[in-house]
Amino acid sequence: MSNKLQLRRTLLLLLVLGAAFAGLGYRLVDLQVLRHDELARVGEQNTTREFLKAPRRGDILDVNGNLLATSTPVKTVCANPSLMGNQQAVVAQALAPLLGLSESVLYQRLFPRLGRNEKGETVTNGLHYVRLQKNVSDETWQSIQMTMSNLSFGVDEQKLSRADRVFFRNLRRSAIFAETDQLRLYPNGPLAAHVLGFVGSDEVILNGNAVSRLSGRDGIELQLNSQLSGAAGWRVTETDRQRRELVSLRDEDVQACDGFDVVLTLDVAIQQIVERALVDAMQKHTPISITGIVMRPRTGEILAMATLPNFDPNNPGGAPADARRDRVICDLMEPGSTFKIVVVSGALNDGVVHFKDTFNCEEGHFAYAGRVLHDHEPFGILNTEGIITKSSNIGAAKIGIRLGENRLYDYATEYGFGEVTGIWLPGEVNGILYPVKKWSKVSIAQIPMGQGVAVTRLQMLMAMCAIANDGWLMQPMLVNRLEDANGNLVQQYVPHRVRQVINDATDKLMIEALKTVVMPGGTAPGAAMTDYTAAGKTGTAQKVGPDGYERGKYFASFIGFFPADSPQLCISVVMDEPKEGYYGGQVCGPVFREIAERCASYLNITPDRVSGPTNSPPLTIMSSHRRPANLSAQ
Amino acid sequence: MRNRKSQSAVIRFEPALKALFLCLLIAGSAVGYVWQKSQIFQLDQQIRQREIRLKQLQDANQKLNDQLAMLRSPLMLDRRARELNLGLAPAQPSQIWRLPELSALPPGIGSATNRLAVRQTGATTQ
Repeated sequence: MSNKLQLRRTLLLLLVLGAAFAGLGYRLVDLQVLRHDELARVGEQNTTREFLKAPRRGDILDVNGNLLATSTPVKTVCANPSLMGNQQAVVAQALAPLLGLSESVLYQRLFPRLGRNEKGETVTNGLHYVRLQKNVSDETWQSIQMTMSNLSFGVDEQKLSRADRVFFRNLRRSAIFAETDQLRLYPNGPLAAHVLGFVGSDEVILNGNAVSRLSGRDGIELQLNSQLSGAAGWRVTETDRQRRELVSLRDEDVQACDGFDVVLTLDVAIQQIVERALVDAMQKHTPISITGIVMRPRTGEILAMATLPNFDPNNPGGAPADARRDRVICDLMEPGSTFKIVVVSGALNDGVVHFKDTFNCEEGHFAYAGRVLHDHEPFGILNTEGIITKSSNIGAAKIGIRLGENRLYDYATEYGFGEVTGIWLPGEVNGILYPVKKWSKVSIAQIPMGQGVAVTRLQMLMAMCAIANDGWLMQPMLVNRLEDANGNLVQQYVPHRVRQVINDATDKLMIEALKTVVMPGGTAPGAAMTDYTAAGKTGTAQKVGPDGYERGKYFASFIGFFPADSPQLCISVVMDEPKEGYYGGQVCGPVFREIAERCASYLNITPDRVSGPTNSPPLTIMSSHRRPANLSAQ
Repeated sequence: MRNRKSQSAVIRFEPALKALFLCLLIAGSAVGYVWQKSQIFQLDQQIRQREIRLKQLQDANQKLNDQLAMLRSPLMLDRRARELNLGLAPAQPSQIWRLPELSALPPGIGSATNRLAVRQTGATTQ
């Protein structure tokens, strides 16, 4: 009997134990086999962390290595509202002056809140993460850390419960934290702002947190954004309970690849010369805008490119959108008389006119195709050179008629009008050059004087540079090279010839004609230089409005180069609606001269003219024992 | 009987020593393991601290480089020259003496040109 009872009890115990082991076995299989992938992922998420390593955005330098744009490390100060408890007021009062925020705004931000994403789903990021201030310096961040660690909440924490002490400790240590960020800095302020452009911040969601990344918005910053940005690195590692990294358990550790430095062809000293001259001209003639470009005609390298009004790329939002537009490549205008170089050089090149051929300029009134063309003053008989010297519209129209519509269109196209120049800046426009079939009867007389076409200031400069460069049209060059963070050359850019528009002989004739423009009797005697022979062309174009040409509103321009027979620099100055005079030679010529003389001095360009009694005496090479008397007099 | 007792006592002492040695070995290994883990953790922290320090120094270096570049920029130098009223102005073309290139001279007078160039530099700086 007792044996039976014992046996039953034993069996029952075995059954219970068996069931228990079966349950445990099932649980084991469930955890290790059936839910293996899911739980492995959860386990990995609990310990594994991925950190993004942001690359440093590359610098932008001028041709001599002067900094034009750089990136400096800063902090983005953030808060974890879930650790704030009800101490928002104390924290806001302590940090508001350091963060440069009003106390009430900061107080509001320190409360946890639920948000919604683009899909309308509720997101909980706001419970644990709120961004308080960007671009905080390291020094300020250290002050914030010190302020937080010394923060007093008006209670005797020794008497508090353990949980309350832990709360205050977490509040001091972890409620306010910082993320590493970078600030784009333009040390020269508005200098070359339209070339450099500016950057903005893009938000990228990473591990549930928004990470900001600099991205180009305009200018070189936008054009070469991918080269400047670099590539992000990352680190996959494990952390302990305090979220401290366990270095020995690092899995992947890939360094960020910093962005390349972009070395421009700009020279900051020449840029400064140009901008100062433009500011002076702006004050004197109060135009709507004024632009200046300095280029090496042999290579197409742009040494300076300025537009006024301008803006400070450190604070691009502080200027109106109009001031941020690069008028050199984005705005169109009728070129006016500067376009005469196209028709005259084309006609000389084709041999349909000769340098000393004469034209009757009809004393300033010429009826053609139902329209009457005018000159700015009456001229009688002028030769081809004189038409350039005096800038006769009627003379240019007659040369255009002799050249013919198709050839005029061909030459305008060859000089690059109607298509982008290919400069490495965003937003360049083509200009307007209608095909011959769309021309009216009077177009052949109007286009030679720069009406009925629309060009950018850069296109017009490139055409003049072609004449200064033996007829060769160059591609404008703004970027000299790319370098890595250690200064190693990554990519060198070289000048690019587009095509030869006119032959050498024609080119020399054109230069001879353009030299006379700055002489007494020409349209721009104010552009003549003391120690150099300059050559150039003036332009005064009436502005086009919705109802046709607007009276009293002009684009004034002067484009010239020097030394005329061995051109080193080509300079363009254009004003939009100047006051106190409106002729190109009158208002832009002196600006050209000022820029040219200062650039020549800075670049040490050899003068090609003897100028007055202050000039250096001729230097004679003597043997070593004879000291030249003229040197001792110095 | 005594011999058997004494023999058995000897036999028991040896396993006890072995057991003790084994225990010490296990305990030592355990302590060593923990010590090693502790060392790894400490080295982890040291590496982490040094990496943070290195980043701070690199950032500071970058800032100083930027500051130096700004101080040496032509714009800053121009501004300082104006502020200090040094009376500096760009040289006019007539104030610049140009020496012929060595390659353009007849052979044999290169040394004279060099000497002249030295004197010329002195003359322009006075």
